[in-house]
Amino acid sequence: MRLGMVIDLKRCIGCYGCQVSCKAENGTRPGTTYARLIKREWGTFPDVQRLSIPLLCNHCSEPPCVDVCPTGASQKQESDGIVFVDGDVCVGCRACVMACPYGARYYQDREHTYFDSEGPNEYETTRYLEHVRGVVEKCDFCRHRLAEGLDPACVTNCMSKARIFGDLDDPDSEVSRLVREEGGFPLTPEAGTEPNVFYLPPDRPPTNDRQVTP
Amino acid sequence: MIENQAQEDVWIPSACSMCYNQCGILAHRKEGTLVKIEGNPDSPYGRGRLCARGLAGIQMLYDPHRVDRPLRRTNPVKGIGVDPEWEEISWDEALDLVTAKLAEVREEDPRQLFFSGTVVSLSPLMHMLGTFLPAYGTPNAFVSDGHQCGNAEHILARTLHASVTTNPDARYCDYLLLFGCQAGLGTYYALTTMAQDVADARVRGMKLVVVDPYLSQAAEKADEWVPIRPGSDGAMACAMLNLLVNEYGMYDAEYIGHHTDGPYLVGEDGRYVRDADGKPLVWDTGPGAARPFDAAGRPTESAALTGCYSVDGKRCKPVFQRLKEQVAKWTPEEAEKVSTVPAERIRHIAREFGEAARIGQTIEIEGHELPHRPAAALYFKGAHGHDNAWPTSLAIELLNEVVGASNVPGGLMGTNPVCFGHPETGFPRWNPTAGAEGLLEAGALLHNDIDGPTPGWPPPPESAELPNLRDLIGWPITTCFTPAALNDDENFGGAVRPKMLINYGSNLLMSAARPETCFEAFKDCFVVCSSLFSDETAEALADIVLPDASYLERLDPVPNFARHHHPVGLGDWGHQIRQPAVEPLHERRHFCEVLLEIERRLGINEVANLMTNFAYGIPPEFALEPDEEYSWEEISDRIYKGWFGSERGLAWFQKNGVLSWPKQVEEVYWKPFSEARAPLYNEWLVRYGEDVRRIAHEKGMSGIDTKGFLPLPDWFPCQAHKPVPGFDLQAIYYRVPWHTFSMTYENPWLDEISRGEPYSYYVCINAATARAKGIHDEDPIVIEGTDGARIEGRARLTEGVHPEVVAIANNGGHWARGMPLAKGTGVFFNQLQKMDLEHTDLVSLSMDCDARVRVYPAEGG
Ligand code: SF4
Ligand code: SF4
Ligand code: SF4
Repeated sequence: MRLGMVIDLKRCIGCYGCQVSCKAENGTRPGTTYARLIKREWGTFPDVQRLSIPLLCNHCSEPPCVDVCPTGASQKQESDGIVFVDGDVCVGCRACVMACPYGARYYQDREHTYFDSEGPNEYETTRYLEHVRGVVEKCDFCRHRLAEGLDPACVTNCMSKARIFGDLDDPDSEVSRLVREEGGFPLTPEAGTEPNVFYLPPDRPPTNDRQVTP
Repeated sequence: MIENQAQEDVWIPSACSMCYNQCGILAHRKEGTLVKIEGNPDSPYGRGRLCARGLAGIQMLYDPHRVDRPLRRTNPVKGIGVDPEWEEISWDEALDLVTAKLAEVREEDPRQLFFSGTVVSLSPLMHMLGTFLPAYGTPNAFVSDGHQCGNAEHILARTLHASVTTNPDARYCDYLLLFGCQAGLGTYYALTTMAQDVADARVRGMKLVVVDPYLSQAAEKADEWVPIRPGSDGAMACAMLNLLVNEYGMYDAEYIGHHTDGPYLVGEDGRYVRDADGKPLVWDTGPGAARPFDAAGRPTESAALTGCYSVDGKRCKPVFQRLKEQVAKWTPEEAEKVSTVPAERIRHIAREFGEAARIGQTIEIEGHELPHRPAAALYFKGAHGHDNAWPTSLAIELLNEVVGASNVPGGLMGTNPVCFGHPETGFPRWNPTAGAEGLLEAGALLHNDIDGPTPGWPPPPESAELPNLRDLIGWPITTCFTPAALNDDENFGGAVRPKMLINYGSNLLMSAARPETCFEAFKDCFVVCSSLFSDETAEALADIVLPDASYLERLDPVPNFARHHHPVGLGDWGHQIRQPAVEPLHERRHFCEVLLEIERRLGINEVANLMTNFAYGIPPEFALEPDEEYSWEEISDRIYKGWFGSERGLAWFQKNGVLSWPKQVEEVYWKPFSEARAPLYNEWLVRYGEDVRRIAHEKGMSGIDTKGFLPLPDWFPCQAHKPVPGFDLQAIYYRVPWHTFSMTYENPWLDEISRGEPYSYYVCINAATARAKGIHDEDPIVIEGTDGARIEGRARLTEGVHPEVVAIANNGGHWARGMPLAKGTGVFFNQLQKMDLEHTDLVSLSMDCDARVRVYPAEGG
């Protein structure tokens, strides 16, 4: 099994819901955004285009972040290809942060909180127990949710239904079909990491299908 | 209270209130702490998906800067930016002070109590308006959302669609044309559900055209972005109407003849021609004579839509003929001069829109053959936030009406104007009817079938004593004009002056217009704020601040204004509960419970009970007895049981969260099943214009100008178009989907978005325009209005904005001590906003949301 995600750039409305749904699910500290968004603009008025591009770890098939890790804390899960960090083993050397071409890793340099001088609020006191200082953290496709049969939080919540999750090894899966039929492409393929997050072009032709997807 | 906290792990169904949409949520509480908010898949309000704000509500619940205990001002000086020097007091002390003041004011003249609220906290706002205020005896309430209000859209939604708002039927729509609006794409009604439907539609092949001076979130996704000069949307829409009805012949004669007043004859006096019984007449082409519009046995198509006739010696024309003539002067070339949108582009959009509407075609849905008109034109604040709001909005609305794309599959829909109620009880219900003249009259104004005032408006009162334009002009649903009236002695000198203000949940100093407007109006009053934060309004004005319970800490039995929170189209009805995800923290209290306490102390609880029965439409079996005392839980229980049967009381909703049942085709696509006609010609406005003119003249209100009281669409320039030498730009505001008005700037997760995003904390200026002024990206700049108002911000050079425009997101730039995270983030657009008669569309009470400005680097100038 090779778990992967398709992000439909035609559907995505750049609402940042994925960034916050990830934050809400994983209770991450300030500045850590496993799911995030960039906006790009090109052209000259009035022929100008803007595009919102959601980013997250690509759970690459050839992950340099895993290769460089001296302790074995960064791993690629055999069974499904999820790339994760074992926080108990990580020594915080940050080699993986440097190695990842996608900026998908976050070193927890200090125990900062959102209301800074006020210290952690009740929510943060509870949720930040899951996060230790001095290690690297990243998206793990919400492994704890997958274990319960759920999709990653950003997929479940996206209000434009722009994120689709599944097994890229299964040719009949929705993600495989979309990559194949709708022109799915990875970001920065030249980095040679073989990403498992694919994007559908924003300007692809319509399906002309009156069916409403569930 | 929570038992067994140690093992607790529960999911609580409730409703969001981070914006006015009130989507369904699930709140995850573990060992007494709220650990996550998710969408509730069982709720038709969001279907399990939330926007960034809804997910981030948790950081508002636990914000250490919330007001946790009642506060009393110790600094006798009030002022914008002044430190109130709060002292914490007990609830008993606070309520003693508040009740004593309320009693004193009421004794003298209850109308001296003023109230301001916000639509974001909709349910307590409606409760206050429907129960406490009438029981107390004051009509002086206003909604302070100012430039955020739907004004003109609300009036037209009621006049043409028997509703409060509109949305496109995305499931069947093939062509969506948005004017200054982000329906399903950024912000707007039923955002989280409409976003799903609109994304599906776009993938399916619905074309999206967005007319907007700024490359908004919606424009980013558009197949065509049409940049336009702000405030000129009406000219473009008039030209499109002209092309459709005069040049291309693309109009739905069957629809216009049967479902609008298109055939009604209008005389040269601007009035319908009526028979002796007052029935509007049409011209019957069979016998070649006038007859009542509803004469038995005559087919629709026998009534003329065009031509010029004579009835009893009086020349008259059908409404549709008048419309054709009215828009004839709006050639695409004329519209180009005003709007900067090239004439050719207007032509091609009009043609595409007309073709997409498939006039004459039908579709079968669940066994019903219905007109299929898959094209919709929709607008919001960008188009109607100007003093030409009424004729502009009317022009855009009529695009749908002339092609028959109104409340049928694929067209523009009133948000759910027909509801037959829960199948077992028939509650809640509302249904529009045809009035004596055949025109559409809305169903329920509030929750159940109480007649709405559309378009059989009550006549304007003879007295303009009450300081609110609504007293002269009664039809707009909301207005924030009250403070401006209080500052305008010349026109409103005879008005009742406020002695006390209760402000619930709203930060009117920032939201209504420039802060001085509201400060001046209420600075001499005793002011009580029930607030989440010690915000700008509390710090400048409040004598007492009551710590409000947020939406995550309180019970609201009717969190939704059911019609416009539902998405349009087929799907489910749903009634949900808002219940505490955690008990109110510290000493925070729910405003509605505080009101019950105050009612008892004032001795107005008996009347309030009766008002509660009326406002919620509680059937007699479950109605409150006047002389009984009820808790908020007991009142909620009775509302639920009254609407949904004795087995579905409060306990049922606490457990299940939401009660859903399927919508029926006759509810959703109600137009073909209804005899009620939408008025293309707003004859009521001709009559009202005359009345308002007369009253204003008699009262010496020289500032009341009724030039905009037009029965048919047109366009005239707005205030920001007036040329002032040296002031070469227009400043506008736009909305991003992760902020609500000004309130969310204190939320760290949402602030984190804006900090990482290129535009929303900046002033967007066209790159070429900026270069010509020597402004570079990131430069601090000054935006100065023609009246000397100044704001500052940092420049973001972009190609995504009209060269004559600077665009500013939402309404940031807080300065209150009590909101330290928000302080100084974003740009305070509203400082540029003047609120007075001149900057207000007197038909819809829409205020100008743009300003003529000049822009220069902050140093030097
Ligand atoms: S939540 Fe969905 S629509 Fe919103 S930015 Fe993320 S991917 Fe795009
Ligand atoms: S995106 Fe970066 S962190 Fe994720 S697997 Fe690839 S290289 Fe590693
Ligand atoms: S749209 Fe409004 S009500 Fe719905 S989740 Fe977002 S903030 Fe909450």
